[in-house]
Amino acid sequence: MSFAPRPAVQPWSRVNTARRVQIFLASSLPLAVTALIVLFGGLNPNVALLGVFLPLQLLAAGYVGFASFGRRGVGDASLIVLVLFFATFVLVLLASVVFSLISQGAQAVSWSFISQNNIYVSNTTSLEYGGVGHAIVGTLLIVGLTTIVTVPLGIAMAIYLTQSQSKTRGLVRTLTQAISGLPSVVAGLFILSMAMTLGWERSGLLGSMALLPLMLPTVARVAEEALRLVPVDLRYAALALGAPNYRAFFQVILPAAKSGLVTSILLGIARIIGETAPLLLTVPINNGTSWNPFSGNIMTLPAYIYGYLSSLFEPSQNRAWGAALVLMTVVAILFSAARFLSRSKSLKTKPTKQKASK
Amino acid sequence: MNSLTKASTLSAENINVWFGQRQVLSDVNLVFPANKVTALIGPSGCGKSTFIRTLNRMHELIPGAGLAGSVFLDGQDIYGDDFDAVSVRIKIGMVFQKPNPFPTMTIRDNILSGLRLSGRKAGNSDEIVETSLRRASIWNEVKDRLNDQAISLSGGQQQRLCIARSLAMDPQVLLMDEPCSALDPGSTRRIEETIQELSSNMTVVIVTHNMQQAQRVSDQTAFFLADDNTPGAVVEFGATEQIFNGPIDPRTNDYVNGHFG
Repeated sequence: MSFAPRPAVQPWSRVNTARRVQIFLASSLPLAVTALIVLFGGLNPNVALLGVFLPLQLLAAGYVGFASFGRRGVGDASLIVLVLFFATFVLVLLASVVFSLISQGAQAVSWSFISQNNIYVSNTTSLEYGGVGHAIVGTLLIVGLTTIVTVPLGIAMAIYLTQSQSKTRGLVRTLTQAISGLPSVVAGLFILSMAMTLGWERSGLLGSMALLPLMLPTVARVAEEALRLVPVDLRYAALALGAPNYRAFFQVILPAAKSGLVTSILLGIARIIGETAPLLLTVPINNGTSWNPFSGNIMTLPAYIYGYLSSLFEPSQNRAWGAALVLMTVVAILFSAARFLSRSKSLKTKPTKQKASK
Repeated sequence: MNSLTKASTLSAENINVWFGQRQVLSDVNLVFPANKVTALIGPSGCGKSTFIRTLNRMHELIPGAGLAGSVFLDGQDIYGDDFDAVSVRIKIGMVFQKPNPFPTMTIRDNILSGLRLSGRKAGNSDEIVETSLRRASIWNEVKDRLNDQAISLSGGQQQRLCIARSLAMDPQVLLMDEPCSALDPGSTRRIEETIQELSSNMTVVIVTHNMQQAQRVSDQTAFFLADDNTPGAVVEFGATEQIFNGPIDPRTNDYVNGHFG
C-alpha cells in the first residue's frame, strides 16, 4: 500500500458565504460611516475614532456574533474588536514615533555626522560640518562604566533574592522597588551634592554614579525573574549528584537563566542610555572628543540632543533629531548583538528525529 | 568499572519527619541489604517520597523540614560527624519522578555532569559515558548523537539518561522516586530491566505506585500508610513474595489487592 500525502485541511475555519458577507460588512461599514462623518460633518478625527468608530464597530461585530452563535457570540466578537482596536492604536503610536524620528533625523545623519565632533560648529553651521562622534564615545564610556559596576551588583542581588532563605529578602526587594521610583533628576542632584561636599570635579564618572541607582533596580528585578524561572528540579538534580551549592549554581542554574540575565542587562542599559537630567547636572559638556570619563569635560548623546533641541536655528534642530536617531540605532545595535551572542545552544540544535528503539 | 562498585547496606532507624509543626512520618525502621532491591509502596501522601529523601539528605533542602532518627550507611550515620550532605549524595544517588536532565548540556555532558559538579576529574570520560549509558540501557539509542542537547530526547529516554547520569557517579546505593510514573510501558519495561541488572552492583530503593512493578523488580517491600490525621508509618515490611501473597496485616492485604488507595 502506498501513502500519498494529502494537503492539511482545517474544517473548523470553514465559513459559509452568508457569514462571509456579514463579516465583510461588519468590518467595513463602521469605518466607512466614520470616514463620511469626519469628511462631511467636520468632526475631529480623534473624537470620531473613539466616539463613533469604536461603538459602531462593537455594535456591528456584536450583531454578527449574535447572528452566528447567539449570546455567547457577542462576548467573543466584542473582545476581538477591543483587542484589535487598542493593539492597532498602540502600534500606530509606536510606529509614528519611530517614523518621525527616522524622517526628521535621516537628513542629518551621514558618515561625517557619526564620526566627527563639534569643535568648530556653531548653532547655524551647515549640517555638512560637525557631528555626534564625541557624544557617541561619551555615552558608550559613561553607560559602559555604569554597566560594569551595576551588572554584578544587580545580579548578585537577584541571586540573594532567589537562592537564599534569608529573612531580610522582603526588605531588600521593597527597597529595590522604592529606588526604581526615584526621579532621575534627584539621583543627579544627590551625586552632585555629594561631589560638592567632597570637593570633586564634575566628570563622566559622576554621571556614571548618578545612573547607577537608576539601572540597578531594573537589572535586579529582571534578573530575579530570570533566576526564578529556572525549575527547582534542576537544582535538586545537581545537589543530588553531590554538587556543592556554588557549583550547582554556576554550572546548572546560571547557564539555564543565561538569556534572561542578558535581557536584564539590556533592559538596564535601555533604562539609562537616554537619561538626560542626571547627566546635565553631573557631566560637563564638551564639543571635542574625550576618551577619559574620569576627569574633564565629556559629551553624551542626551546632553547633545538637549543642547541643540533648545536652539531655534534649523540646522541645530536637525542635529538634535539626527542624534536622537543615532541614539535609537545604538540601542538597537546593542540589543541585536546581545541577543545574537546569548542565543542558547538549545535553539541552535534542532531536535533530531527519534530513532526506533529495539 | 563494575568491580569498583561495592554495594552497601543502608539502614534507617526510628525516622521521624516534620514539615513545620506537622509530623508526617513516625518511627520508620527499615533495612536495605546490599545488592537487594527494596520497593516502597503505599497510597499518595503517606510519606514514601519524603522518607526516601531522608536517605540521601535531600530532605533537609526543604524549608521547615525536621528530622529525628538515624540513617546508617555500612554502619556509619550519614547525619553524623563523619559525613556531610555532599559526600552522602556522592555515595547515594537519586533518580527523580520527573526526568530532569540539564537542559543546557548535551547528552554526553549530562553524563559527566555529576563528576564535574562534585569536583572530581573524569578519568576516561568516553569510557564512563559509554558504560553509564549501557548500564541504563540507552546506549544504542543515543550513541550516534552524544553531542545533541539532552532535551531533544523523549521522556522515557530522558529518564534513562538521568539514571545513567546517577550511575556515572558509581553510587553504592541508588534511590528512585517513582521513576516510571510518567513513562510509557516500553520505557518502563526497559527501566525495570535496568534496575534488576543494577542490583548486582548496588543497593536499590524504589518508590512506586505500580503493584506489578514492585512485584517484578523488588526483593523486599515496605508498605507505608498514613491513617486519617496521623503521620505515615510502615505497616508491614518483608519479602516481596510474602507482602503480596500472604500479608499479615489486613490493611496490607486490602492495599495490594486494590481494595483502597
